[in-house]
Amino acid sequence: MSDAESPDTDFDPVAPNTGEDFEPVDVFPDSDDFDLRPGADSCYKCATCDTNCPVAAVDDDFPGPKFQGPEQWRLKQTDDDYTVDDSVMDCSNCMRCDNACPSGVPLSQMHNTARGEYVSEQMDKLSVEYVRNRILANYRTSAFFASKVPRLANFAMNFGPARWVMEKTLGVTSERDFPEFARQTFREWWAERGGQATSRENAKAARNRRGLPEDADKKVAYFHGCYSNYNTTEVGKAMVRLYEAFGYEVVAPEQKCSGTPMFANGMLDDARRHAEVNVSSMSDLVERGYDAIASCTSCSMALRQEYPELFDIDGIEKVAANTFEAVEYLRIHEDLREEVREAEVDGDLAEEFAYHAPCHSRNQGLDRQAVELFRDLDGVGVEDVGDSCSGISGTYGWKEEKYEKSMQIGEEMFEHMEDADGETGMTECPTCAMQMEHGSGYEIRHPLELLEAALVE
Amino acid sequence: MGQTPHIAVIGGGSTGAGIARDLAMRGLDVTLVEQGNLTHGTTGRMHGLLHSGGRYAVSDQASARECIEENRVLRDIASHCVEMTGGLFVKRPEDSEEYFEEKLEGCRECDIPAEVVTGEEARQMEPHLAKDIDKAISVPDGAIDPFRLVVANAASAQEHGARIETHSKVTDLLVERGEIVGIEVEHGSGPGKRVHGTAGGTEEIRADYVVNATGAWAGRIGDMADLDIEVRPSKGVMTIMNIRQVDTVINRCRPKGDADIVVPHETTAILGTTDEEVEDPEDYPEEQWEVDMMIDTLSELIPMLQEARTIRSFWGVRPLYEPPGVGSTDPTDITRDFFLLDHEERDDLPGMTSIVGGKFTTYRMMGEQISDHVCGKFGIDADCRTADVPLPGSEDFSVLRDYMDEFGLRSPIGRRSVERLGSRADEVLKTDGPNPTVCECEGVTRAEIHDAIEGSGSDLNAVRIRTRASMGNCQGGFCSHRMASELHAEYDEAVVREAWDELLQERWKGQRHALWGEQLSQAALNYALHATTQNRDRDPADGDPVDFSAFDAGRSRAGGVADADVAADGGTDGD
Repeated sequence: MSDAESPDTDFDPVAPNTGEDFEPVDVFPDSDDFDLRPGADSCYKCATCDTNCPVAAVDDDFPGPKFQGPEQWRLKQTDDDYTVDDSVMDCSNCMRCDNACPSGVPLSQMHNTARGEYVSEQMDKLSVEYVRNRILANYRTSAFFASKVPRLANFAMNFGPARWVMEKTLGVTSERDFPEFARQTFREWWAERGGQATSRENAKAARNRRGLPEDADKKVAYFHGCYSNYNTTEVGKAMVRLYEAFGYEVVAPEQKCSGTPMFANGMLDDARRHAEVNVSSMSDLVERGYDAIASCTSCSMALRQEYPELFDIDGIEKVAANTFEAVEYLRIHEDLREEVREAEVDGDLAEEFAYHAPCHSRNQGLDRQAVELFRDLDGVGVEDVGDSCSGISGTYGWKEEKYEKSMQIGEEMFEHMEDADGETGMTECPTCAMQMEHGSGYEIRHPLELLEAALVE
Repeated sequence: MGQTPHIAVIGGGSTGAGIARDLAMRGLDVTLVEQGNLTHGTTGRMHGLLHSGGRYAVSDQASARECIEENRVLRDIASHCVEMTGGLFVKRPEDSEEYFEEKLEGCRECDIPAEVVTGEEARQMEPHLAKDIDKAISVPDGAIDPFRLVVANAASAQEHGARIETHSKVTDLLVERGEIVGIEVEHGSGPGKRVHGTAGGTEEIRADYVVNATGAWAGRIGDMADLDIEVRPSKGVMTIMNIRQVDTVINRCRPKGDADIVVPHETTAILGTTDEEVEDPEDYPEEQWEVDMMIDTLSELIPMLQEARTIRSFWGVRPLYEPPGVGSTDPTDITRDFFLLDHEERDDLPGMTSIVGGKFTTYRMMGEQISDHVCGKFGIDADCRTADVPLPGSEDFSVLRDYMDEFGLRSPIGRRSVERLGSRADEVLKTDGPNPTVCECEGVTRAEIHDAIEGSGSDLNAVRIRTRASMGNCQGGFCSHRMASELHAEYDEAVVREAWDELLQERWKGQRHALWGEQLSQAALNYALHATTQNRDRDPADGDPVDFSAFDAGRSRAGGVADADVAADGGTDGD
């Protein structure tokens, strides 16, 4: 209704339109087809999303998020004759447009939904692109097998001739080094260590040490994701030790891929299958008072935002509302700043770090937390390498046809890393870490590792 | 038979264009004159409903039967103007069960395919319908683009030799020896296509017969020959939503009342309407409460309308006519039927017939009847072919093609373009040069803009109604200047500026009634953008032509600009 009719409106000119009232309609209750046209109501075409899109900046053929999102949805109709433009496959799903929009347009939700529709209805399932994307999106499956034979996998995956064949037949760039698989997965380590029982003991001991009530209600469910499980297990271990040191009992529930690479490749059926497992195990724990903690900012992003936007699964809203990024959670519930101020780091991690904030951490408002937190930590320096996108965006930079663009996007970050004092990188996102390492040759660490070094005896 | 009779048709709405096409196809010489653009009057100000007849199935069964008959004809001959959305008459719990049954029975009596669907089924078709609706009747309502339809009728008339003069206002009826022998028109910009800045002038158009198809304006034409034509103009408001909340025409199933229909129209949905008699078809109050009332009332059917974005509102006047002696006091009681008033029989003044009343859906049938009448005057026995020969754009055409590859357009843009152009798509979209999107909201490319300019001259509002460019959510904020630039080369700077101004004014007009919420943000952004990047707030170059070439030499160090007495630096540098 117009303002003329209701002068006693509760309109508050300083309250931004966050788009929170917007609820897409589930057109067919049993499917994931959402009618997102109403989301276009919030768009007034300012194109701020386009100017913030890292892909549009380097790819002249990419029409940008304004077209992909509100324009395409408004022009499209629900009947089958309207197809999704194939340019949606060039979006890297960095989700910067979500953050850029001053008006609360559900851009990434529109992109994800359109991409899902494109892949399921228009893409040739026998095409090389589809097969390649499916393999990349299901990194967890490859990693699962590779982790059974980590030494062989590490050799084979970076074996020159094999990579040449992969590029020619599958379109996976041979420019990049495959990440190394850990000899022991995080979950193997966790089981060997005694699982939840051990964690409960450790947490109890820490609570005693800290003078907290022994039965304090401090328990978290760790969503380690695939990368901390199969590759950088040291991040997962750091998370467990750090949380235990603060008196938290950690559980590592049954889980699958968060879905991030699947959203980015339009594999919504796969993503849904994995999400069902994750939501089912996490929602049980949330009901029992656990909070869900992720060490990867894309995993926490998926659980918090993409899940409720894309799927209708029992308990999904509750899981989303109780999911946190690992450092963020400690900043909320502990006096992390003070503890860090009193701590000191020496040895291996007493370094100057070049820190890159992943796009998905930005969307959660976490882009400054590492820099601000470690400012007061003796023995280390952390320098922000700027607010550009690293360019890899998960699987995007692994695609042969996207590799050059990915590196062009990363150019700014590489330059700033070069200019930074340190020669060690830091970020929360596994694939940003790959890109940082690839472009600079630096070793890349996770903030949790530094916190462990500073705060865990 | 001697010479081919020359017929002057006054009025470039659906009726006038339909008559012109019919007469031209029967081989008569036709001149159509319209005071503004085609569709300038009521035709351009309707909700675009292709009636199934369901709306009249209880109150006016004769009209209902005509509607369903014409509905079938138009789907065939005007396929590129029609979208068969289907329609629902939705009954809320408080609406009368008895009327619901009457409606269903009425539809069946008039051969309108009608079926009852449960509330749940209706909500499956249209998820945004209110949860508590009872049930609905489904009927073959559709959406039709009145602009495209009239332009296609006029184009067809032209192909058959008719002369179409827009922006040509009738200033007098020529009466000689007790007979109307022609019209006097004032051309806005010379005969032919409109070009801004071209000198106009008065023209006497002599005709063997005159048809007054000016709808709500019929009384005014009559006055010129002291004829009393009692048209009772009745205004109705329509509000355009930014998106389609529904893909089916939604009617409220109750006897009569304001605000009882939502028509999905292209990318938008149009809410309608009200019914209130006015004195003057050109000057009546447009009031905000009418818009508010409509949104509130229709929210009972579709709750999300309450918070949804409206992009503009407009009012139209129905050309209602009631034969003397009926004396309805409420305009909703006046019949929607049409009447031929032969002024020879009625007023002893031969040479002209007026056609009044009626409705858009039956425009072709009205055209057929008056053409029969006119032909009868001259003893011409020619069959009407307008029900069989498709309009330009609606010839046999497969829409299931890959436009993106064929025309190099993004999928939804190609799709929209082809839906608008129909069988003319190839001819218009296959261009050698680059074909950028000019209007992003509606997906209109340069090729389509150029095609429209070819058809209508420098008039950007005429380009707008042909293409939908500037009719989307930014209401021309981002494309008006681009559309104007497309005029350049063929038209000079002064023409382009004038056309651009006119388009902007027209776009602001309807937005005035939508300035809250998101559309207010849009308007504020448009204003800022136009003021800061296009000098729209105060343009130093607006007025006398600027000698831009004087700036070519740049600024000389000595101060001042070479060969020109203009302070290009704003007067801060040099003397």
